[in-house]
Amino acid sequence: MERGSNYPNGADASAAAVPVKTTLSIVQERFKADETVHLIFEAYQIKGQEHIEGLLALVSSASGGTYAIISFSLLRTPLSASNDLKINKVFPINASFKLTTDSKASKTEQQFDLCTDDDRPTKYYYYSMRTDPVAVDFNEFCAKVNTCKKTMWDAELPSGAALNFRWLDDYREIGEVKHELKKRESEYIIYKDVIVYCATWNVNNKPCWDNKNTLRPWLASGKKAPDIYAIGLQELENTARAMLNGNQMQMFATQWVRKMLENLHDDMEYEELQSVRLSGIMLTIFVRKNLRQHIVRCRVNSVARGVFNTLGNKGGVAVSFQLNEASMCFVNSHLAAHMGNVAERNEDYKAIDDYMRFEENGPQVRTINDHDHIFWLGDLNYRIQEPNGQQRPGPMCDAQTFELMLQYDQLRTEMSYERCFKGYTEGEIKFAPTYKYDVGTDTYDTGEKQRAPAYCDRVLWKGKLIEQLEYNGVMEIRESDHKPVYAIFRVKIKTRDDDKYRKVLAEVLKAVDKRENDSQPQITTDRLNIEFGVVRFNEPAIRDFNVSNDCPQQVDFKFKVKDSHNDICEKWLHVDPRADSLMIDSARSIRVRALIDANSVTGLLKMICTAVDKCVLDILILHVRSGRDIFITVTGEYQPSCFGLSMETLCRTERPIGEYTLDEVKQLMLDVTPVYRVPMPREYFLLIDYLHNQRGQLFQSYDRRQPLSSQFNAVRDWLDSWSNDPFPGTPQTAAEALLLLLDLPEQALLEPFVDDLLASRSKADAERYIDLLSDPKRNVFKHLCLFLCEGVERGDYDANNVATIFGRILLRSSKCNVTIDYHSRCNEFMQRFIRIENPDTVSGGNGHGGASLQT
Amino acid sequence: MDVKLHKMRGVVNKLYERIDYLIENCPNMTAAPYNYNYIFKYIIIGDMGVGKSCLLHQFTEKKFMANCPHTIGVEFGTRIIEVDDKKIKLQIWDTAGQERFRAVTRSYYRGAAGALMVYDITRRSTYNHLSSWLTDTRNLTNPSTVIFLIGNKSDLESTREVTYEEAKEFADENGLMFLEASAMTGQNVEEAFLETARKIYQNIQEGRLDLNASESGVQHRPSQPSRPSLSSEATHAKDQCSC
Repeated sequence: MERGSNYPNGADASAAAVPVKTTLSIVQERFKADETVHLIFEAYQIKGQEHIEGLLALVSSASGGTYAIISFSLLRTPLSASNDLKINKVFPINASFKLTTDSKASKTEQQFDLCTDDDRPTKYYYYSMRTDPVAVDFNEFCAKVNTCKKTMWDAELPSGAALNFRWLDDYREIGEVKHELKKRESEYIIYKDVIVYCATWNVNNKPCWDNKNTLRPWLASGKKAPDIYAIGLQELENTARAMLNGNQMQMFATQWVRKMLENLHDDMEYEELQSVRLSGIMLTIFVRKNLRQHIVRCRVNSVARGVFNTLGNKGGVAVSFQLNEASMCFVNSHLAAHMGNVAERNEDYKAIDDYMRFEENGPQVRTINDHDHIFWLGDLNYRIQEPNGQQRPGPMCDAQTFELMLQYDQLRTEMSYERCFKGYTEGEIKFAPTYKYDVGTDTYDTGEKQRAPAYCDRVLWKGKLIEQLEYNGVMEIRESDHKPVYAIFRVKIKTRDDDKYRKVLAEVLKAVDKRENDSQPQITTDRLNIEFGVVRFNEPAIRDFNVSNDCPQQVDFKFKVKDSHNDICEKWLHVDPRADSLMIDSARSIRVRALIDANSVTGLLKMICTAVDKCVLDILILHVRSGRDIFITVTGEYQPSCFGLSMETLCRTERPIGEYTLDEVKQLMLDVTPVYRVPMPREYFLLIDYLHNQRGQLFQSYDRRQPLSSQFNAVRDWLDSWSNDPFPGTPQTAAEALLLLLDLPEQALLEPFVDDLLASRSKADAERYIDLLSDPKRNVFKHLCLFLCEGVERGDYDANNVATIFGRILLRSSKCNVTIDYHSRCNEFMQRFIRIENPDTVSGGNGHGGASLQT
Repeated sequence: MDVKLHKMRGVVNKLYERIDYLIENCPNMTAAPYNYNYIFKYIIIGDMGVGKSCLLHQFTEKKFMANCPHTIGVEFGTRIIEVDDKKIKLQIWDTAGQERFRAVTRSYYRGAAGALMVYDITRRSTYNHLSSWLTDTRNLTNPSTVIFLIGNKSDLESTREVTYEEAKEFADENGLMFLEASAMTGQNVEEAFLETARKIYQNIQEGRLDLNASESGVQHRPSQPSRPSLSSEATHAKDQCSC
């Protein structure tokens, strides 16, 4: 494609105004006037289990002169407005941009990767069939994207326009705070000039107290007082005796540090930041006193080389620290000696570079190359390898001679082949070779070996924003066979402007907060109150409500388990589903079922007695994952029934229970006075009266968890209205109702003496406790025994069977650790009262109970 | 047959994607830098209509929310603040004030490092109920939970029913921090939330708050420098600067 036709100019044919809104025009609405959407391609992503429908748009900016692919996910389909599109990723089509088709792709699952900068590639899938006629097919997409990349980067730039991707910033998501701060660094970073003074000297075992002369020509050169000194010494003391005597070496070192400190620039006060020594190789950092507080994370280390690579007569030492926002590293090394050992020197360099590590807190380490500004100084020992027959230079030489000699400098040669000091720079050398002199003179070695002069002592640097101001050897210091060398640098140190930084930080934090608060998943419910109206015993009722997701992300919700009952809702409610996920723009209904039955009525009555609002059946907590909680109140008015009420409460009624309001029943339940209207509950009596006339084995088993028989509710109404109609159910239903009536009250009939009664050994023993029961309970118990006794006598009931069933109900224990013989004791106890040993036992009891059975 | 293969391939691909997703989202595998050093959990409590949600909104959005509906449940908002150069993420739970939800909202007190107890200076009844709110807070939080009393709607001076002095006295008697604030004008809102955080932070520094206790309401996130820069531990460096 011709560059002219392809270059973004805002008037691309594909973006021309179309009367009907096409997908392309909707996508175009998301962009600014000078940004053009060239094509769209339908692609989906897979996150977890979910397919996320999306679009890729190839967009160009006239102002930036660049192209990018913007990846959208579709919040709604079909697309009707531009806010149905959510940008999920931005791929600038820059030099590092890659579109990779996956070789694993099959005909049915077609995929490709988009990747830019150092991000992980993002995988996209596409269908072989397009659904939107405006979208292009894959081949066209690839072709166009590749053309764009080519035209942008291969062709020459239009005059005056620098390619940039700044326009994309408006479409990028706000990242993490650190990332954002980094991105906006230019707004708060300033650069401060710092003068760094590097110096190196091989002192050739001369203790400094021998040195009466000043070190000032070496250390206090330069007009401006330096901010940082890095001074490297070699061969502090090379004798074997000293090397083996650590104390003596340390004493030498301390003397040297003191001596150097005395000879620094006069205009400023300095302090020692750090010294590090490996045998005779020492590096000392002095800093301006008021600079010290800006230096953090100071670390040192050394790498030993030389004999067996361990002795440390050769090797390197280094100091690393951070000044403001810049990290700095200084290395002093003494590499392998002798003309022929170039490879060994390179090896030494490489070992120091590889193994020098600065410990960080935690698992991180810094290497030399992890620093912004690196200075490497020392006796590197590279020689001048002149062709044979060349004359050695005289003591005073001119720059031309130096230049001539430097052609044969091993270090320069090795560096040019990248065999050492890769990435390092060295300034121009305009001073005489630093080695080897007769001590006390400026005369080159006149000794036996007649060593050739060489630039052994050097200062190199690596990193940005470093400018060398001076680089010199010092002839007038003559104590060693080496001449000292120094180099002065101006370094622009990255520094944070605190005021500007605070401002940017506040903005970034606010944006991150806003994103977090705005992106909270939201769920809406169509009602906050589920009203059941009148709820009756054993009659299930159902209400549905809807939850919907209208936020731009998937929402997971669940009903929260409440501490108070260890479940999401009360026993009389059932919620389905308890948890689910909602896709964007979807809704689902949730069913709440209320059933007040044998298992839950006691709990409900108990709650009614204590609750402020008797109509609140429960409050459900609808929890949205990483979002808010919604309280859903479930209300309903329970229609009181005799089931679940205690014998005492039932004996206080003066009219059928069905005619009482819930409030009135609550009053009856809370009443504790021992005043009763009838000796035993009428409802109980009605059932016994009916059952008394029925024949056959009516009490075969009982389990309150079993569903009740179909006629049960008719029986319930018959009891709750004290009806005069004939009994509306079968004898089995009546038996069922009787058992429930006895079993459902919160307290077992024989409470509070269940434990005593279980422990009793004889009928007489037990009767002492029975007599202590409240009147209604005692009467019911005695009457019931009489009734069962008759049934057994008649041969309708099996004594053992009814003893088991009724024993467990009347002596129901709430204790979880009932004794092993609990069941047999229940049975035994009941048998004592229903066996026909002495029919007179109960005839003397309460007259009412005894008489009624005769009717 | 082809359809079946296609389906299987889809399943396998999804599994791979799932694994990628898990790896990406597993906190132990990716050293994602945290935005903060600590998380403090706050709750806001008080009678219905005292302006709890408005205070939260003013704090997180710096805006007044007029016609704010009653909170039916628990909303939450976050904001990252700085105390002593440490970034602290406040996770603020705003509870429903209605009496009927009282039992349910009690379950949200647990693990709160800070409790903002709000009354309305123009409605005495909301002030009178403070002792019951305070009882709940004391019963359901830690001894180290910082309780901050806020008399909201300080902009409505003309209809004031509770004087500053009596509320201050109540606060002093019960060892509460106290400010009158206005969610409408924003006055003192920032201060109340930040003062609470400073007090919690101070409790941590002075060892009064055990970070390891599961219900301290504070989570510590040691920040990880992503590269050798950006750190403020000058004292550390000094300690290690010995030859």
